[in-house]
Amino acid sequence: MPIDFLPILVMIAVVAAFAAIALILSGLTGPRRPTRAKLEPYESGMPPFGSAMRRVSIKYFLTAVLFILFDIEIIFFYPWAVLFRQLGLFGLIEMGIFILILLVGYVYIWRKGGFDWD
Amino acid sequence: MIPLQYFLLLGAAMFCLGLYGALARRNAIAILIGIELMLNAVNINLVAFWRYIKPANPAFELAGQVFALFVITLAAAEAGIGLALVIAIYRSRDTVNVEDVNLMKW
Amino acid sequence: MPDLNTWLLISPELILTVFGLLIIVIDLVGREKSHAVLPWVAILGFILAIATIPYLAQDQTIFAGMYAIDKFAFFFKAIGAIGGILTVLISIDFLRTRTPAKGDFYLLLTFAVLATMMMASSTSLLMIYLSIEFLSYMSYLLAGFLREDKKSNEAAIKYFLYGAVTSALMLYGLSLLYGISGSLNLADLTKQFAASSDLSVKALGIVSFTLLLAGFGFKISAVPFHQWAPDVYEGAPTPVVAFLSVGSKAAGFALLLRVALTAFPTFHAEWIALLSVVAMMTMTLGNLVALQQTNVKRLLAYSSIAQAGYMLIGVIAANVSGASPFMGLNGVLIYLAAYLFTNLGAFVIVVAIENATGAVEIPEYAGLVKRAPLLAALFVVFFLSLAGIPPTVGFIGKFFVFGAALREGFLLLAAVGVINSVISVFYYFSIIRAAFFEEPKDATLIRVPGVMTASVAICAALVLLLAVFPQSLIDLAGMGMGMFGIARP
Repeated sequence: MPIDFLPILVMIAVVAAFAAIALILSGLTGPRRPTRAKLEPYESGMPPFGSAMRRVSIKYFLTAVLFILFDIEIIFFYPWAVLFRQLGLFGLIEMGIFILILLVGYVYIWRKGGFDWD
Repeated sequence: MIPLQYFLLLGAAMFCLGLYGALARRNAIAILIGIELMLNAVNINLVAFWRYIKPANPAFELAGQVFALFVITLAAAEAGIGLALVIAIYRSRDTVNVEDVNLMKW
Repeated sequence: MPDLNTWLLISPELILTVFGLLIIVIDLVGREKSHAVLPWVAILGFILAIATIPYLAQDQTIFAGMYAIDKFAFFFKAIGAIGGILTVLISIDFLRTRTPAKGDFYLLLTFAVLATMMMASSTSLLMIYLSIEFLSYMSYLLAGFLREDKKSNEAAIKYFLYGAVTSALMLYGLSLLYGISGSLNLADLTKQFAASSDLSVKALGIVSFTLLLAGFGFKISAVPFHQWAPDVYEGAPTPVVAFLSVGSKAAGFALLLRVALTAFPTFHAEWIALLSVVAMMTMTLGNLVALQQTNVKRLLAYSSIAQAGYMLIGVIAANVSGASPFMGLNGVLIYLAAYLFTNLGAFVIVVAIENATGAVEIPEYAGLVKRAPLLAALFVVFFLSLAGIPPTVGFIGKFFVFGAALREGFLLLAAVGVINSVISVFYYFSIIRAAFFEEPKDATLIRVPGVMTASVAICAALVLLLAVFPQSLIDLAGMGMGMFGIARP
C-alpha cells in the first residue's frame, strides 16, 4: 500500500530540511576568508592538471577490460561466504578450483604481456 | 507491497530502451551500452519474480537471485570480449562506427 | 553435495576442461618447439571424451535436475567432439603461416566443444543460458582470431553484435519462463504449463518461445537471425568456419529439440506454425541468395543457412510417439551426422586450396581437376551429399526428414524442401563446372599435406559408406531419441 511509505516520506522531508537549514545557517553566520588551497575541489588531494575532457589513451581500455573481468568474478564469493559453514570442506575445495582456474587466466595475461604498458 | 506488475513494466521498459539503443545506434560502444541495459532489465525481472513467486520445487528457492548473479558475471565477460573486439577494430581502422566496418557486403 | 558418481557422469566435460587448461599451461611454460604438440593434446582430449561416453550410466538428471545424462545428449556430444577433432586436423596447417599464438586457438576450440556438450545436456533455464553464452564467447574469439586480418576483425565484431542482441532477447524469454514456474527446470515448467489453463500463462509461453527462438535461430543460422553467417563465413579463419557450421549448428538443434519437445508440448500447434514459416523462409532465402555468390566461403554460408531450413522440417515433423521409422527427430539426428562429415569434408578442401594458392573465389577454382585431381573428385562427392543426391549420406538424411514431413502431413513443407534441393544443385555445380570444364590459368599442381589428405579421405569414405550401410547410423539416431519417450510426461 502506498500509505505504508508515509513515514519514509516524512523522513525524507526532515532530512532535507535539516541539511538545508544547516547549510543556510553556516553560510549566514560563519566567517569567510577564502585562500587558494581552500578553493580546490579536494583539499588534501592531488593538485589538478590539464582538462577533464581530454582523450584517454587506448591502452587504458585493456587495463579496464581486465579489471572488469577479475572484479566481477568476486561476485561468486558472495554466495559462498553466505553458506560458508554449511558447505564446509567441499565449498572450500570448490572455491580453490575456481580460483585456480582464474589463476591460470591471470598467469596467461601476465606471460602474454597484458600488463606491459609499452 | 508494490505489485509485481510494476517491476515487470519497469523491466519491459528498460528492455525496450536497450533494444532500441542496440538497434538504432551506430557507435559500437553505444550498442554495447544498449545490450547492458537489456541484460539489466532481465535482472530486474529475475529478482522481482524471485520475490513474488514461490517455486513448488524447494531446490529452486533462491533460483532468481543466483540466475541474476550469473547474468551479471556473463554481462561483464561479454563487455570484456566486446571491448576487446572494438579495440581490435579501432586499431586496424581508426573507427568504432559499425557502418564504416563494411569490407564485406552481400 | 554431489557425490563421486555425479562427477563420473560428467567426465567428458571434465576431461575437456582439464585438457583445455593443460593446453594453456603447456603454451605458457613450454618452449617454442613444444608447441607443435598442442593440436595433438587437443585431439587426445576429444578422443578420451568420446571414449568415456559408452561407459556412463544413462537416462538420469543430475544437479537438481538441471543437467541431463541421456543418449540424446551423448549423440550430440559425440558430434561435437568429432567436429572438434577434424577442425584441429585442418587447423594445424592453416595456422602455421598465419599466427604466432597457437595455444590460445586450441584452448578456445576445446572449450567451444565443451560448450556444445553442455548445450546438449542442458535441461534448465540457467544451463541453457550459460552454455549458449559459453559457446558464443568462444566463437566470437575464434572468429576474430587473426588479429592482423581486417576481415577476421570485422567478422568477429559483426558476429558479436548480432549474437549479443539475440542472446539478450533469449535471456528475456528465459526470465519470463522463470516467472511462470518459479523453478529453473524444464520439467517443472512442463508441469506448470500442463496444469494451468490461465490465458496469461499461455500468452507468456508463446511470447517466451518466440524470444527463445531468437537465441536458437542465431546458433542454427535460421532466417531472420542469419545475417551474421555470410560475413562470418567469409571473414573468419576457415577452420573456425568449418567448426561453426557443424558444431555450433548441431548444438543449437540439440537445444531447440529438447526445449520444444520437452518444455513446450502444450504449445505444439503454435510452435509448429512459427517454425514452418521460419523453415520455409530459411530454405528459400538461403538457396536463392547462394545462386549469386562468387566467393566459395560465402556460398557455403548460404548453403548452410538452407541446410538449417531442411533440418527444421525434421524438427517440425518430430513425432515421438510414432512407431514408423520416419519420426522427424531421428531424421534431424541422421541429417546432422551426415552434414557433419559432408560439410567438414568440403571445408577441408576449401582450406587445402586456400592454403596452397590463397584462392577462395569460384573463378580461381578453374581447372582444379588438373591441379589437384583427388580434391576435385572428392569435391563432387561432398556436393552430391549436400544436394542430397544418392549414393551419398546426404540423401539418407533428406530421405528421413522429408519422409517424416510427408508422414505427418506437412506436404507443403516437403514440397518446398524438394524444390529447394533442386535449386541447390545449380550453385553446387557452378563450382564443379569451374573445376572440371574450365581451363586453369596456372597449371601447377597443388601440394596438400598428408594430414589434410587423410582427413578429407576419412570424411569422403564416411559419406559414401554410411550411405551404402546406413543401418548403424539409423540405429544410433534411434537410440539418441530414446530419451524423449522417458522424459515426456
